Amino acid sequence: MRALSTAATGMMAMELNVQVISNNLANMTTTGYKRQRAEFQDLLYDHVSRVGTQTSAQGNMLPVGIDLGSGVKTVGTVRLMTQGNLTQTGNQLDVAIRGDGFFKVQLPDGTYAYTRDGSFNMDAQGRIVTAEGNVVQPAITIPPNSTGLTINAQGQVSVIPQGSTTPTVLGQLSLTRFINQAGLLPMGDNLYQETPASGTPIDGLPGTDGAGDLQQATLEQSNVDSVSEITNLITAQRAYEMNSKVISAADQMMQSVSNLMR
Amino acid sequence: MQNAFLIGLSRQVALSREMDVVANNIANIDTTGYKADGSLFEEYLSSSARTDSGGRVSYVRDRGVWHDMNAGQVAHTGNPLDLAIDGEGFFVVQTPRGQRYTRNGSFQINAAGQLVTTEGNPVLAGGSPITFQPNDRQISISPDGTVSVRQGNGTADSVRGTLTLVKFANPQQLQKDGGSTFSAPAGVTPQNTTGAKIVQGALEKSNVRGVVEMSRMIEITRTYMQISSMLQQQSDVSQQSIDKLAAVPN
Repeated sequence: MRALSTAATGMMAMELNVQVISNNLANMTTTGYKRQRAEFQDLLYDHVSRVGTQTSAQGNMLPVGIDLGSGVKTVGTVRLMTQGNLTQTGNQLDVAIRGDGFFKVQLPDGTYAYTRDGSFNMDAQGRIVTAEGNVVQPAITIPPNSTGLTINAQGQVSVIPQGSTTPTVLGQLSLTRFINQAGLLPMGDNLYQETPASGTPIDGLPGTDGAGDLQQATLEQSNVDSVSEITNLITAQRAYEMNSKVISAADQMMQSVSNLMR
Repeated sequence: MQNAFLIGLSRQVALSREMDVVANNIANIDTTGYKADGSLFEEYLSSSARTDSGGRVSYVRDRGVWHDMNAGQVAHTGNPLDLAIDGEGFFVVQTPRGQRYTRNGSFQINAAGQLVTTEGNPVLAGGSPITFQPNDRQISISPDGTVSVRQGNGTADSVRGTLTLVKFANPQQLQKDGGSTFSAPAGVTPQNTTGAKIVQGALEKSNVRGVVEMSRMIEITRTYMQISSMLQQQSDVSQQSIDKLAAVPN
């Protein structure tokens, strides 16, 4: 009976849906996290009788056909790249992006990755690094004992060096854009990698070409909306239950047939 | 008497197909833009095995599956590339197999900057896909389907195209093609829509109603089991008649 396998595809899809929702909820307070959504589509149809088939020599046609579907498939987990809320932290090295850009960081193996998490720190050499110690590009070294670290909306980093009263510009942070941000590959640690689907990275400066402005002493919260996640979770759970009911109903039908033989 | 078995069988075959339709609806209860199916049955008259009995026997047969084309509920998502259609109409999608029609408006931008479905097929605007430039931002889609953006640091809107919406005189003639799409059989041509609006930042959910499908399923299971027990009784009658009539007198 086809209903059994159809309902099984429904249960598997809902299981995946719950996985995606639980990952969103787990990352509710992860800085710069972008929520995902499981996207489903119906599977192939078995066209038992095709609509529009001629039923007589006079040209009568079937007004409806018999299309039996075989269930549901997950077509992808879409990442929703909407802006998260910005919260003030007071920390001079916390930077949030208001716009579409990503910070570019260099990984230990020399390759580049991209992140929206702007909770930066300084390493032993005074370079601006992420919480994992990856250097933010372009590398900016802050001289020791300098004060008044300022990062303006265009990404210019300036400090007042020791023994001076005027600020000096040390460099300018860059932002990278992608034509298809949702096509980036998540690597964990709030990092993303470019893929053929994301398109090549377009390096630019903050405040130009829609890359977004920077805001110092602020962090971007995750864009997970707990209310909608919980309602999605309820929907997924009930849909799972209904599919399991289909399996037991199909089972009962088959049992009643098998009981015919005594 | 064999007729009773065959009639019961015809009903059971039809019911098991209806069960498949219900199972597919429930599996797609959370599929964006999915349209529920329903089964149509008809009576099929046939002269009985014994012509002298005069009566005719009516079997059941499933004639077709109809699509419930009612709109599903529109859920707000806030994602600028999620589009729902308010009213009668379909988006036109160019697939490798030809043009397909869908109400699933969960779109993406691919590496070439084209507006595509989740499966990667371009969405058509007047026969060609919509292509965005790398520095486009603030994509806004008006109710009539006009896609406009702000390019770079500009403040003026530039139009990237107008999404095509089509409708069909008789949507029942459409055939489901998987992937939340419909295909039009030969001779069925799309027409321009009137009165349909595009809602940005929202998706049309599946129009499957859980309660209806569950009650249909209970009805199917119970009927199926009743027929099974009817067949059982028929079998008992045959058994008894064989035992009684063929009993060797002692």
